[in-house]
Amino acid sequence: MIGMFVGEKRLTMAVLALVAVAGSLVDFTDLNSLIGGGLLLFGCLVLLIESVCRSARAGAS
Amino acid sequence: MTWSAAAPAVTAAFLASLVEVVEAFTIVLAVATLRGWRPAALGTTAGLAVLAGIVLLLGPLLDAIPITSLQLAIGILLLLFGMGWLRKASLRAAGIIPLHDEDAIFATETAALSDEARRRRQSLGWAAGITALKAVLLEGLEVVFIVIAVGAGRGLMVPASLGALAACALVLSIGAVVHRPLSRVPENLLKFGVGVMLSAFGVFWTGEGLGIAWPGQDVALLLFAALFLGAGLIGASLARRLRVEFA
Repeated sequence: MIGMFVGEKRLTMAVLALVAVAGSLVDFTDLNSLIGGGLLLFGCLVLLIESVCRSARAGAS
Repeated sequence: MTWSAAAPAVTAAFLASLVEVVEAFTIVLAVATLRGWRPAALGTTAGLAVLAGIVLLLGPLLDAIPITSLQLAIGILLLLFGMGWLRKASLRAAGIIPLHDEDAIFATETAALSDEARRRRQSLGWAAGITALKAVLLEGLEVVFIVIAVGAGRGLMVPASLGALAACALVLSIGAVVHRPLSRVPENLLKFGVGVMLSAFGVFWTGEGLGIAWPGQDVALLLFAALFLGAGLIGASLARRLRVEFA
């Protein structure tokens, strides 16, 4: 069951850290909450591409 | 409840469940082919009964959890689950990891049960039944999670459940007719699509749980899905290039 959510450890940790940072931005700063939302959304997209490329390098080398 | 609000939940639950049910069906069919339908049916029934028990036990707890906490917890789990699927689907599309092959899984399960038969001839019925139970329970838990994730918090549990049930009915109907693993299901394409939808739902719910008011409400899901689709395709394209460079 854990494998359902923890496919790749580094990606999992990075997503959790990103959610924590976005949550802190929304809760503890006066910034518009959409900035936290944008960080969450685009952060996830970047993390996904980075994870795919890293696995490809590891798999191909 | 409007169709535009329910459609993404129904579609996500249907497609994700389709993939899971095909995987469970392959293993149950392997058990039935090798040991007959009795242990396969008993294992499947026991798996479904345990699943029903879990849903009946944990389902009412969902109402007791504050909605924002529920959205945040489910959103994070969906993000991890969806991005994991999308990552693997991108890597499969790029040829980095092999495609999921239902025929190969069928052959592996059949061989494993045959080995078991040589070792413990008398208790093979049990082993076959437990193999079916395990497949139904594990894949079923994923279906339950997906239904809860896309349906809870917005009153969409019924449409999401109907989407999952439709997937079960479709796979079982086709399986009853063809009696072999459904290897022609474009599984990676489905997983790519489902990964995109679950990741989009994940960002949406996590954001709502954090108190972010997404512009356009549910319509934002479409934008998120488009962006995740783009990221998955870019990832697959870059991975393909890296594979060629490093080869």
